[in-house]
Amino acid sequence: MYWSDKILGLVTILYLVLFLFHLLYFALRKERLLPFLWVALYVIFGFHTLGLMIRWIESYRLSIGHAPLTNFYESLIFFAWCISLILIIMKKSFRLPILTMFASITSLTFMGYASLSTSVDRAIQPLIPALQSNWLHIHVFTCFIAYAAFALSFFSGLFSLLPRGSLLPSKEVLDETNYRSVMVGFPMLTAGIMTGAVWAHYAWGSYWSWDPKETWSLITWIVYALFLHARFVKGWQGRRMALLSVIGFMSVIFTYFGVNFILSGLHSYAS
Amino acid sequence: MSAIKSELGGEEAPPPSSPVNYLYGFLSSLKFAILLLSLIAVGSIFGTVVKQQASPEEYLSFYSGSTYTLIRFFGLNDIFHARWFLSLITLFALNLVLCTTQRFVRMRRGNRDLTIPDEKALSAMSNSFLAKGRTMEDVSACLRGFKQEEAKGEGAFLEKGAISRYGVYMIHLSIIVILVGSLIGLVFGYRGPLTLHPGETRDSVQVRGGAGRTVPLGFTLKCNDFKASFYPNGQPKDYVSSVEILEGGKKVLEKEIRVNSPLSYRGINFYQATYGSTPVFLFDIGGEQVSLTQETPYSKDGLFLMPMRFEKSVHDFGAGVQIGYVEDEKPAAAWFLKDVPRLRERDIKGVKVRLLDIKDQYYTGLEVARDPGVWVVWSGFILILLGLYVNFFLYRRRIYLLQRQEGTLVAGMAFRNREAFKAEFEKIKEKIDVLER
Repeated sequence: MYWSDKILGLVTILYLVLFLFHLLYFALRKERLLPFLWVALYVIFGFHTLGLMIRWIESYRLSIGHAPLTNFYESLIFFAWCISLILIIMKKSFRLPILTMFASITSLTFMGYASLSTSVDRAIQPLIPALQSNWLHIHVFTCFIAYAAFALSFFSGLFSLLPRGSLLPSKEVLDETNYRSVMVGFPMLTAGIMTGAVWAHYAWGSYWSWDPKETWSLITWIVYALFLHARFVKGWQGRRMALLSVIGFMSVIFTYFGVNFILSGLHSYAS
Repeated sequence: MSAIKSELGGEEAPPPSSPVNYLYGFLSSLKFAILLLSLIAVGSIFGTVVKQQASPEEYLSFYSGSTYTLIRFFGLNDIFHARWFLSLITLFALNLVLCTTQRFVRMRRGNRDLTIPDEKALSAMSNSFLAKGRTMEDVSACLRGFKQEEAKGEGAFLEKGAISRYGVYMIHLSIIVILVGSLIGLVFGYRGPLTLHPGETRDSVQVRGGAGRTVPLGFTLKCNDFKASFYPNGQPKDYVSSVEILEGGKKVLEKEIRVNSPLSYRGINFYQATYGSTPVFLFDIGGEQVSLTQETPYSKDGLFLMPMRFEKSVHDFGAGVQIGYVEDEKPAAAWFLKDVPRLRERDIKGVKVRLLDIKDQYYTGLEVARDPGVWVVWSGFILILLGLYVNFFLYRRRIYLLQRQEGTLVAGMAFRNREAFKAEFEKIKEKIDVLER
C-alpha cells in the first residue's frame, strides 16, 4: 500500500462528492451554487495532482523512478486528471454544469475502476527498456489531453441528440462546445501521433509500423479530420455533427481500451 | 457560419461542362476526399482485425478455406502493402493536391472583401463605439499587431491574424510532405535483422522483403558484448549491445546500443531489437579445454565429434548434450549429462572426453535500417504542428476606423473566436479611454 493509493482513493470519493454536488445543483436550481462547483473541482484537481506526484516520488523510493504513465492503472488515473485539467484550462468554453457533471461521472468511473477492479494491477512497476525514454511524457500527455477533449466533445454531441429538456443547454451552445473541444483535441491527437512516431523511430527503428494502436489512432484522426471539414467546408451543424462526435469517441475508446484488450501489438503494456 | 464558409473560399467549383472537366471536378472534390479517407479508414480497420503477414497455416486454423481465399484475393493478409490500399493513398494525395491548389488560387484571386462599410453599418456592429475627441492616429496607436490594409471607402481598415487563413494550406502541404518522405524511405531505404554473438563481425545485412537481397554496409560492425539485466521481479531492465565500427580494419567508433538509444553511422541505424541465448558446451578432450556450440564440428588427430542436440532436462536428470561422432567409419551418438557424474565422461576412440559445463551465451538481435526520407517526414511533422497552431489558435479579426467630427468611430469583427475578440475589443476600448489628451 502506497501513500499515493490513499490520496487517489480519496480523490475518487471526492469525484463522487462532486457528482452529488451537481445533483444538488440541478435539484435546487440555485445559480449561487455554480461557483462552488468550480471551487470543488479545483480542490479535487489539486489532490489528484498531489496523488500523481506522490506516486512519481514513491517510484523513486523503489529505485526505479518514472512518471506514473506506464501501465493501465496509471493511464486511467491520468485520463481522469486530463479531463479535469482541460475543464479548468478552458473553463470559459466548458462552463456548463451538465458537462462538468458528466466529466465528474467519467472521472469517477475511471478512478473507481482503477482502484477497485481486481483485474487492474495497481503496483508501481519498473520501467521496461522500451519505455525508458523522455518521449514517454510528451507522447502520453498529448494523447490523453486529446482523449479528454474528445470525451467532452462526445458529451456535447450526445446531449444535443437528446430531446431538449430543462436540464440541457441549447443545441447551439452544445454545438459550440463540441467544436471547441475538437479544436483542442485534434491538434493534440496530431501531436500525440507525431511524438509517438518520432519515439518509435528511436526505439524500434521505424516511425510507422501499422501496429494496431498506431492504426486506430490514425482512424480516429481521420474521423475528426472529417468532422472539421464537415463543419468548416460543408457547414454542417447540429445532429449530423453530434453523430460524428459520437462516432469519433467510439474510435477513441477503441484506440484506448479495445486495442489493449482485443488486439495485440507493440503497445500492449497495459493488459 | 456563413462568414466562416466564405472565408474558407466557398465550396464547389462552377458546374463542369465537358467530361474532362467533370473528371477533374470529381478528382479535386471534397466528396472524393471523404470517400477516399473513409475507404482508407475501413481498410485500416481490417488491417487491425485480420492478422497481418501470417503464414497460410495460421489463417487456415482460424478461417475456413473459402474465407481464406477471399482474404488472399483482397490482400487482407497484408493490407498495408496491398496494391488497392496504396492506390487509395496515392489517389488521396492527388485529390489533396488538386483540392488545395484550387482553394488556394481562389483565395489568392481575392474574394477578400476590402470595402469599408458605411457609418450606419459600422455603428450597428456588435463591437463598436465612438472614441470621443480622438483622431484616427490616436486610435491606431492603441491597436497592437493590427496591420492597415489598402481598402475602398472612407476611413481605415486594419487586420490582425490574417495569417490564420494559411494554416489549412500548411496542414495539407505537410501531409503531402510526410507522404513524399515515406515514399523516399520506401524506395531508397531498407531494413533487416542482424544477429551477432559477442566477438562476431558483419559487413552486410540481408534485407527484409525484396527477395532477401544482401546489402553491404560499407563498413564492419563488431559486437564486443551483450548484456541483459533484469529487475528483482523478473521484468527486463536493460538490453545493451557493446559494438564497435571498423573501417579498413581500424576501429573508428565504439558505442553501447540500447533500446531507446540506437547507433547511427553513415546514415545507417542499428537498433536493439531482440536477443537470445545459445548453449555453449565446455569439454575436456584429452586434457585440452574446448568450448563447442551446437552443430559446430570438432576434429583433431582423427577424432571427429559434434554437439547435435541440447536438452534443458533429459528425463529429469538435468541438462545434457548429445554428441555425434564417427567410430569404425559409422556414425554414433552419446548423451553427456551435466548433473550425472557417471554420464559426464566417456571414452571415444580411446580419448577421454569430459563435459565440464554448459553455459548460456547471449547473442544480440539488432535491427538495421536505412531511411533517407525520415528527415522529410520530420519536417512534415513540424509543418503540420505549425499549421494546426496557425489554423486553430490564431484567428483573423478586423477593425474599421472612421473619422467623425466628435471623434473616431471604432468598429470590429472577428471571423472566428468571437468571444475572445469581444474581450480583446473591450481592452482596446479601455486603452483608448485612458489615453492622455
